[in-house]
Amino acid sequence: MNLSELFSLLIIVLYALGTLLIIAGTVLRKDQLKKLSNWSAVAGFALHSGMLLFAMMGSDFDLSKGYYIQFLSWSLLFIYFFLWWRMRLSFLGLTASPLAMLLFIGSFTLTTVQGKLPEEWTGMFFGLHIGTLFLSFGLLAMAFGAGLIFIRLERKIKTKEQLTDFDKDMPALATFDRVNHVAVMAGFPLYTIGMASGFIWARLAWGRLLSADPKEIVSIFVWFVFAWLFHQRLAAGWRGRKAAKAVIWLFAISVFSLIGINVFMPTHHSFIQ
Amino acid sequence: MDRDIYLIGLNHKTATVEVREKFALTDCKHLEPGVVPVEGCIKEAMVLSTCNRVEIIVVGEGDGVINHVIQCWADARGQRVDDLEPYVYKHKGLDAVQHLFTVASSLDSLVVGEPQILGQLKTAYHEAVDRNATRVILNRLLHKAFSVAKRVRTETGVASSAVSISYAAVELAKRIFGDMSEYSAMLIGAGEMAELAATHLLNNGIKKIYVANRTFERGQLLAEQFNGEAIAFSDLFTQLEKVDIIISSTGAHEAIIRAKDIRNVLKKRKNRPMFFIDIAVPRDIDPDVNGLDNVYLYDIDDLKEVVEENLAQRQEEAQKARAIVESETQTFSKWLRSLELQPTIVDLVNRSEAIVEEELIKCMKRLDGANGDTEKVLRCAMIAVAKKMNHEPISFLKRRHEEEEAGDRYIDITRRMFNLDNDSVHGLAHGHRRRKN
Repeated sequence: MNLSELFSLLIIVLYALGTLLIIAGTVLRKDQLKKLSNWSAVAGFALHSGMLLFAMMGSDFDLSKGYYIQFLSWSLLFIYFFLWWRMRLSFLGLTASPLAMLLFIGSFTLTTVQGKLPEEWTGMFFGLHIGTLFLSFGLLAMAFGAGLIFIRLERKIKTKEQLTDFDKDMPALATFDRVNHVAVMAGFPLYTIGMASGFIWARLAWGRLLSADPKEIVSIFVWFVFAWLFHQRLAAGWRGRKAAKAVIWLFAISVFSLIGINVFMPTHHSFIQ
Repeated sequence: MDRDIYLIGLNHKTATVEVREKFALTDCKHLEPGVVPVEGCIKEAMVLSTCNRVEIIVVGEGDGVINHVIQCWADARGQRVDDLEPYVYKHKGLDAVQHLFTVASSLDSLVVGEPQILGQLKTAYHEAVDRNATRVILNRLLHKAFSVAKRVRTETGVASSAVSISYAAVELAKRIFGDMSEYSAMLIGAGEMAELAATHLLNNGIKKIYVANRTFERGQLLAEQFNGEAIAFSDLFTQLEKVDIIISSTGAHEAIIRAKDIRNVLKKRKNRPMFFIDIAVPRDIDPDVNGLDNVYLYDIDDLKEVVEENLAQRQEEAQKARAIVESETQTFSKWLRSLELQPTIVDLVNRSEAIVEEELIKCMKRLDGANGDTEKVLRCAMIAVAKKMNHEPISFLKRRHEEEEAGDRYIDITRRMFNLDNDSVHGLAHGHRRRKN
């Protein structure tokens, strides 16, 4: 086992511990466990950051396709920690820890596939493309988790159904809506930058803007849905259930686009070619 | 020794409100030297008197303690013992301890889990301390009662949910809005329950309260009370735009607010959520309001249902709480028994022998290659030291034990000084005493 494998294993263990602890903490209603879960995820995240940085600095930096997924897993936690720090939303760990763990583990199925290193002068657009899209994906994931709980809780309050202990431990409806707000308000501009830089990079690297790739088509579709939601929230005052549902759909399409297209379809975004 | 803890009292279950009023000791705080003076067979005493109960807790010696206490109680109120006796319960020893723990944990309260009783008990105890009427046993007993109450609160859900209509409404508001400081409320019409809900909202930090009443003057009076603002009843719908929580309790015969009115309001509010609480009968707010997005409507029946669910849940949790009280009573009885001389001496000797064995193992590890003889000599020497160290405290304890008052105190001090009960004591214990000095 080399050092990188050892680190990866340690990160997986820490993320798995974080996942188990947050679930246990929620079920047993112990704040102590939830706190521990967060710190376990923080430790894993620190190692994870170090590993990504080390790989990037390394002289033989080969951008394996697994690296992207690891970076996506990292972005997800980055967004979670940001929201945790700014808004004290530790319940989002219920979405963040398991997803980050699954993505991180999943990344190892792709480590053997090598991508090609982007040219120096296009690297900036490429980095921008990946970074902003991954961050907006992280935001959507958080709003997705918040949206699911919001819809359950909102229905119960509206129909006067009896609340379970789980419901009672959850934050107020307004808090969930704020996650949605942040995700849409910050996520849409990030997504737009990501798309634009992608097209610019395509123009510079391949000489053409559009290539009728399935990934491109779905992404443009997602952009339109996102833009529409952004507009509705901002101008029409959409909030609550409608906004939550819209984000859930948006995230579902993004996941489909990530797994369905990048893995199973012929595309220049492919993870397996 | 026939010294024991006694608890004599009455509560809302044993006596009607007339009887409770007649024998309440709330006004007798000024009595010197207390309702039940610490003299003769009474060694320690304290009195808790609230509108729902009177509890007199004493440490006494001899057979006449109970009768003596009841006599004192009746005398303090200028009543006859015969009028009092039928309503009174008398607990002795562990029963008394258990009863006190049950009361302190609010398991015996009219509304199980209501938190006031603990505060009242603390006040009553501090009064007794100020009067110098408590010693080792009551001090320990009451501190234990406070910690049992705390355990029950944190480990069971006995006090975790709202059991009054107005409080249930506020709890729901918190579930919808979270931090109240960014939101405003409006009272439409005035009534006792609406005022109560407004008070709860203020206690939870609501930003502002508006009052809309048909008679503007009455509304103004109410608004002043809550530091709020009175608005004209005719302006109701234009003002609704500003408020998030609406508590309605007018005497109107039909609905005054309908979905079609609120739809416009919502548009102006950009769909910010609204919570309507309708405590009027007949209802002020048409149920179709609940069909709007981002609007929540609870009427009095809905709130009653929430309260009943919560009450049922409290009863369940009370079972868990009783188990805690039971086990803590056992712990306390262990301590009570240890207040005798012999067990304390045994514990003290055992403690030092345990330390000797511990240190001996460490020593032998360091003395690599030492044989059994060395161990024997070492053990002898260490035990001798321990014995000599124990000798003076033990003979001191024996001497003090023969004096009447001081015995318990020194045994208690010894137990605490050497931590013979393995208690964990946090840094802030007895903070109230330190402040006083």
